[in-house]
Amino acid sequence: MAQRFLILEDGSIYPGHGFGAGATTTGEIVFNTSMLGYQEIVTNQIYHNQIIVFSQPIVGSIGIAHDAYESILPSAKGMVVRDVTDISKNRQRSLSLDQFLKQHNIPGISGIDTRHLIRQINQTGTIKGSIVDVADDHAFDQLHATVLTNQQVAQVATPRPYPNPNQGYNVVVIDFGLKHGILRQLSKRNCNVTVLPWDASAQDVINLDPDGVLLSTGPGSPLDLPESVLEMIRTIQERIPMFAIGLGHELFALANGSDVTKLKLSHHGANHPIRKIITNEIIYAMESQGYVVDPDSINRDRLITTYLDLIDGSIQGLRHRDYPAFSVQFFPDGAPGPNDSVDLFDEFIEIMGTRE
Amino acid sequence: MAKVVVDAMAMQRALTRITYEIIEHNKGIDGLVILGIKTRGVYLAQRIASRLKQLENASVPVGELDVTQYRDDIEHDSQDTDPKVTISKIDFPVTDKKVILVDDVLYTGRTIRAAMSAIMDLGRPKQINLAVLVDRGHRELPIRADFVGKNIPSSQQERIKVSVSEIDGHDSVEIIER
Amino acid sequence: MDTKEIQKILIIGGGPTEIGHETELDAACVQIIQAFKKQGIRSLLIDNNPFSAALEDVQPTNVFIQAVTADNVQRIIENEHPDAILPTVGGVAAISVIQELQENGVLTDNNVQTLGIPASAMMEINNPDRLNDVMRHVGMPVIASETIGTLDEAINVANEIGYPVIVKPIAPRIDTNRMLCENESDMINAVSRGLSWSRFKQCVIEQSIVGYKEIELVSMRDTMGTQVLIAGLENIDPIGIHSGDSMVVTPTLTLSNVEYESLRDTAFAINNQFRFTGVVHTHFALRADGESYYVTKVTPYNDRGTSLAACATGYPIAYVAANLYLNQKLTDVRLPEIYHFKQTAILEPSLDHVVVRIPLWPFEDIKNADKHLGTVMKSVGSTIGIGRSTEEAILKALRSSQFSPQDELPSMSNLTDSQIISQLIHPLSSRILVLLEALRRGYQVDELNELTKIDQFYFVKFKHILDIEKDIKTHPMSIEALRKGRYYGFGDGMIAKMWQTDIETVRQLGHDNHISPTYKGIEPSAGELSGTPTGYYSTFELKNESQQLSNKTVLVLGRGGNQLGPNASADYFTTEMLKQLRKSGYQTVIMNTNPNAGSLTATLTDKQIIDPVQLGDIMNVIAIERPVKIFVPGNRHYLTRELRRRNYSISILPPDQEKRSELLSDHANIGLDLFVAKGHIVPILASDLRSDQGIATTLNQITLMRNPATLTTQQLDAILKHAKAYLGAHKRTGMVQMLYTTNGNSKQMPQFAGVRPTRLTTIAYLNKVTGINWVRMLVRQALGEIDEKLIAKWDVDIHSERRSQVRGTFPFKQLQLPDQLGLTTQEVGAKISFETL
Repeated sequence: MAQRFLILEDGSIYPGHGFGAGATTTGEIVFNTSMLGYQEIVTNQIYHNQIIVFSQPIVGSIGIAHDAYESILPSAKGMVVRDVTDISKNRQRSLSLDQFLKQHNIPGISGIDTRHLIRQINQTGTIKGSIVDVADDHAFDQLHATVLTNQQVAQVATPRPYPNPNQGYNVVVIDFGLKHGILRQLSKRNCNVTVLPWDASAQDVINLDPDGVLLSTGPGSPLDLPESVLEMIRTIQERIPMFAIGLGHELFALANGSDVTKLKLSHHGANHPIRKIITNEIIYAMESQGYVVDPDSINRDRLITTYLDLIDGSIQGLRHRDYPAFSVQFFPDGAPGPNDSVDLFDEFIEIMGTRE
Repeated sequence: MAKVVVDAMAMQRALTRITYEIIEHNKGIDGLVILGIKTRGVYLAQRIASRLKQLENASVPVGELDVTQYRDDIEHDSQDTDPKVTISKIDFPVTDKKVILVDDVLYTGRTIRAAMSAIMDLGRPKQINLAVLVDRGHRELPIRADFVGKNIPSSQQERIKVSVSEIDGHDSVEIIER
Repeated sequence: MDTKEIQKILIIGGGPTEIGHETELDAACVQIIQAFKKQGIRSLLIDNNPFSAALEDVQPTNVFIQAVTADNVQRIIENEHPDAILPTVGGVAAISVIQELQENGVLTDNNVQTLGIPASAMMEINNPDRLNDVMRHVGMPVIASETIGTLDEAINVANEIGYPVIVKPIAPRIDTNRMLCENESDMINAVSRGLSWSRFKQCVIEQSIVGYKEIELVSMRDTMGTQVLIAGLENIDPIGIHSGDSMVVTPTLTLSNVEYESLRDTAFAINNQFRFTGVVHTHFALRADGESYYVTKVTPYNDRGTSLAACATGYPIAYVAANLYLNQKLTDVRLPEIYHFKQTAILEPSLDHVVVRIPLWPFEDIKNADKHLGTVMKSVGSTIGIGRSTEEAILKALRSSQFSPQDELPSMSNLTDSQIISQLIHPLSSRILVLLEALRRGYQVDELNELTKIDQFYFVKFKHILDIEKDIKTHPMSIEALRKGRYYGFGDGMIAKMWQTDIETVRQLGHDNHISPTYKGIEPSAGELSGTPTGYYSTFELKNESQQLSNKTVLVLGRGGNQLGPNASADYFTTEMLKQLRKSGYQTVIMNTNPNAGSLTATLTDKQIIDPVQLGDIMNVIAIERPVKIFVPGNRHYLTRELRRRNYSISILPPDQEKRSELLSDHANIGLDLFVAKGHIVPILASDLRSDQGIATTLNQITLMRNPATLTTQQLDAILKHAKAYLGAHKRTGMVQMLYTTNGNSKQMPQFAGVRPTRLTTIAYLNKVTGINWVRMLVRQALGEIDEKLIAKWDVDIHSERRSQVRGTFPFKQLQLPDQLGLTTQEVGAKISFETL
C-alpha cells in the first residue's frame, strides 16, 4: 500500500497508507465511535462531503455484505482508520472493502493514530482535511481553497419519485438523503411507500393521499434548505401523521419555530444513554449529527421534548402538541447501532391506524 | 387456546400514544382529572397519569371507580341487570373538570354508562372522555371511546384477557376461545 | 423485604482458587466491599481462601474463615442475621449453596434476601433444561436436548438425537461446561462423571454444536430494567473448546452489525425475563454463516468473562454491580473520582483497541495430564495483550503466555506434517504456535478454516504476523523493520533473537531513530470524552498519553497470568504490597497482564500498565516513570539481573528468595518461620509440615501446615534457641523458615534440616494466624521503615495453642487424573481452617 497523507486545515500531517481509491479528496473531518458497521457507516449519505475517522480499531474484517448498504451510491469523501483488513472471501461474501471503495472512488487511509486524531478534533472542533499523495504547500493551498458545497441534499436525494409497493399503509417518504434502514423498517411493516424528492410540495404529498409522511435523514445543514420545505412540513403535519428522523427532525423543529445550531463538533456514535422522557426508560441508538435543536428556543406551546441525551444533554426527540407528528434526532433503524428504539416505526404505524 | 394480541411493548406504546392524544385533544393538561375503573383500569389510569407527569412536569389527579356486579370481560349468563358503579376513591372535585375515564376493555358500554352516572352524581364535569386499552366491539349502547389502544374485533364466544404487570406480573392482552 | 432496609450483607466468597475460577472472584469481591462500605453497609464474608485480599478488607469480627458450605452459611445466617446474601462473587459453588438454602427454607425463615439473582431465577440458571424452557417461552432458539437421570436413559436419548452429543450436569458442584461425546463409550464415561457432579444426579444430553462460533456478551441491568452492554467477547476457537481454554478477543471482530445487535437484544430479553440485577455474562453459539444462533449459558454473576470485559473497557463492573444490588439506578451510580467518566456508569463502552486473551495451562507442572483441549476446561490462568491492531494484541498476549524470560517464542519446527494435521484437528495447549507453524509451512487460509473452524480473518492476521517476522529476519538492523516490528507488537527480545544480537542493540537502534512507545488510555469512550484514565497499554504511534506520575514513584512488576505453585498466591502478595507502598507515601505503577488480577484494580494503584512484563517493555515504562524503586513480588531471575545491571534499585520480596536455600536434608516435619530485621530475630510460628496424604518424604511434598506443632515446650524452646543462634551467625533478612526433623521421641531434640525462604503461600497463612500482615512488614523493611518501636508492637505468641491449618489444593480431578500426591509446584490454591479450643 502506497504512502499517503491525511492533512488538516490547522497544518497537521498524518502519514499513513492508502487503500480504496487513489483519488485526492477533501472534506469535513468527522469521527464515529461505533464499534462495528463500517459498511453501513460509509454508505450513509449523511457523510456526503465528509471524511470519516473510525475509532473502531479494525475495518474490513467481514468484507462487504449485500444486505448492509445504507445507500447504493455512497458519497462519503474518505475513510480514516488504524487498520484495514482486505478480506473478500469471508463467509461467502465476494466483495472486499478495498474493492468496494475503489468502485465508488472513495479513498481510505490506514495506519493513522486515530485515537490521537479524535482527541485533536475534540480540541479544534470541526475541521477540514484532505487525503493526498504528497503533503506539500500545494496540497495545503488546495485544502484551504476548497469550498465544500452546501447543496448536499440536492446532490444525494432522489431527483424523481419512486415507489416501493406493498399492501399496508400508504406512506410518503420525503428523501433528504435517506438511509436504507428507514425503507427496510417500513418494508418490514408492509408499508406501501412512495419516495418523493426533497423539494416536494405539500400538494405533491397530498395528491398521493398518504396515511403517514416520513421526513428522512440526510446530510448537511437544515438551515441551507429553502423555506418552502418548512412550509410543506407545516401544512402536512396538520393533516397527516408525521415521523421525522435526523435531518428531518431538525427541519421539523425549524418548521415549528425552534432554532437549530451547528455543533462545535459533530457527534457520531451509538453509546450515549438517551432518556425516553415519557416512561423514563434509557435506550441506546446511533446518534449522528452535526446540528442540534437549541433547547432554549423550543416553543413549549407547540412542541414537547421527548428524548434527551444524558451525556451531552442534547435534545433527541420532539412531538407536536396539537398534531400526531413526532421526530427523533437519532437513528431508530439501527444499521448500525442498537435496535432499542426500532419500535418507533411501530408507533408510527399505530398512529396511522388510529386515523383510519 | 390463548393468543397474545398485544404484547408488553405494544401495550407500553398504546399507553404512550393515548397519553399524547390526550394532550393533543385537550391542548395540555389544565383541568384534567383521570378516573380509572377497577381493577385494571386503575393501573392504566395511573400509568397515563405518570406519563403526563413525565412530559408536563405537573400532576394530574387519579381517582378510582368500583364496578360491583360483573365485568364485561368475565363470562356471565344474564345481562338482565346492568352493572353498578360506585365511587371508591375520588378525593378531588370533578365539577368543571375534564374527566378522562379509563377502562381496560370496552364491550357492551353498560359499565361506562354506569360509570358516567356515578360521576354525574358527584358533580358536573366540563366534559368526559373515554380511554380504553381495547375496544372489542359489540356495543349495546351508543357509546364510543375517544382514545383506543387497540381495536380487537372479536366474536362474543371469545374472551379478552388483559394482564397488567402491577397485579398479573406481566403486560399483555390475550384472546381466549371459550 | 425492601432493599432500603439492608444494613448487613453476607458475601459468599469464592473459596480456594481452582480450574474454573481464580483471583477474579476475589478481585470483584474487593470492589463490592468498597462500594458497600461507601453506602454504609456492613459486609460479612465467608471464605477459606488464604489468598483472599477481600478477607483483609473486612473487619476481623465480620470475617468467617470457613469452607463455603450450606451448613456453614446457614450457621452464620442464624447467628448474625444478615439482611441479605450475595452469591455473585462465589462462582458456581455459591449458587449451589444458595439453591440449597432456598430449598430448605433457611433464607425465607430468616428473612434473608438474595441479591442479584431473584429466587425464581436461581433454580433455572444452571439447569440447562429449565433454562431452555424459559428460552422457548421468550421465543429464543434452543438446542435439542433432554434431561436424564440414568445411563440407560442417556443411551436412549443420545441415540435419538444422534452423535456427537454434549453432556452437561445439572446444578453442578464444580465449574464445568459441556462434555463432547463422539460415541457411546465417550458418553457413558461423561454421564457417569456428570451424574456425580450434579447435585440432583441429573444430566442434560443435547445436540452437538461443535464448530459454531462462540460469542459472549457482558451486560449490566438495574432493578428498573435499564441495561448497558459492556462488551462482546469473541472466542477465536470454536465451540468444542471450552471458552476458558479458548483464545478470546474483544471487541468482536468478525460479526456484522445485524448479528451483534440481535445477540444484544437476546441477552437483554433474557436479563429482563429473569429480572437479574448487576452483571450478566451470556454465552452464544453462532452458526458460521451467521444465519442462526443459540443461547448456551447464562451466568448472572462475576466470572472470568466479566473480569476480562472490565479489564478491556476500564468499566468497573463489580463496583457498579454492587450499587445496583442496593437498588440504585444505573443513571444514578457515581463512580469513584479516578474513573475516566465518573459522572455516569451508563455510557456503553466503545473501544479503540483490541484485547486478546490467551489461556495458560498447567502441563509443565503436571506431566501426566492429557494436553488435549476440549469441552472441559484445563487452563489455570490467562494473560492478555492489548494493542491498536489485532496483530499487536495477539503478539503481546502470546509473548506473555510463554514462559521465556528472554521474550522469545518457542519453535514448533520439529513437528512432522502429520503431527501438525493431527494437532490442527485435535488441538493441544500449543494451539496458537501450531496455527502459526502451519501457515509457515504453506497451509492455505481456507484449508485451515476448514480444519479448525477458526474464522478466516484470524488466519489473515496470523499470516500478516509471519510476513512481518520474515521481514524482520531478512533485514537485520533495519530501521524500517524495527519500526514495523514494534508497531505490530514484536518484543525487543524477539527482534534481538531474530537479529542474533542483544536487546540493548535493538533498543539503541530504536532510541536513535525515535521509534518510541506511545501509551494509550484504556477508557470506555474511544477518545470521545476528555479525562485522564489510570490504565494504559503501549503501542507505537504518534502521540503518547502517559506522563510521569511523580518523582516518588514505585514500579511493581506483576506476576502475569496465574500458574500453579507459588503463583497461586502471587496476586494476593502483590495486592498487599501495593497497599503498603501507597500507605508509605509512594505513587504506584503496576505492570501486569492477568485480567483476573486483583492487583490491577484501578483504585489500588495510581497507574496500571497492561503490557508484557518483559525487559524491553519494562524499560519503556521506566523511561517515562523514572521510578525510585522497582518491586518484584517473587523473583524473576533474568529480569532482576538485567535491571540491576542497568543500575536500577530493585527490591525482590520476599527478599531471601534471592539466596539459595541451605539444606542439610531433603526431609523435614517441623518448620519455624521467623522475621529477621536489623539484628532482631522474631519467631512467628512453629508448625507441623506434612504432605497432602501424610508424611512428606521430600520438601516439595510439603503442602500442608498444621498448628500448634507437635513439640514439647522443651523442644520448642530448643529450636527457638537454635534458630536465633543460627540466624545470628548467618546474614539473612526478611522471612525465613527453619526446618527441623523429629522422630516422635518427645525427649529427643529436633534435628536441624536446613533453612529456606518462607513461601508466599506460608506468608499468607501467617497473616491469617497472627493477625499481622507480614507482606506489609516486608515492604516496610525494604523501605527502611522497620524500627524497634514497630517490632515491639508485634504481638506474636509463639506458644499459642490455637489450632489451625493450611493445605494446598490440586487440580487433579478437573484434569481427570487419579488422586495423586500433590507437590508444592502443583498447588492450584489452598484452604485454611481454624478450630477454636
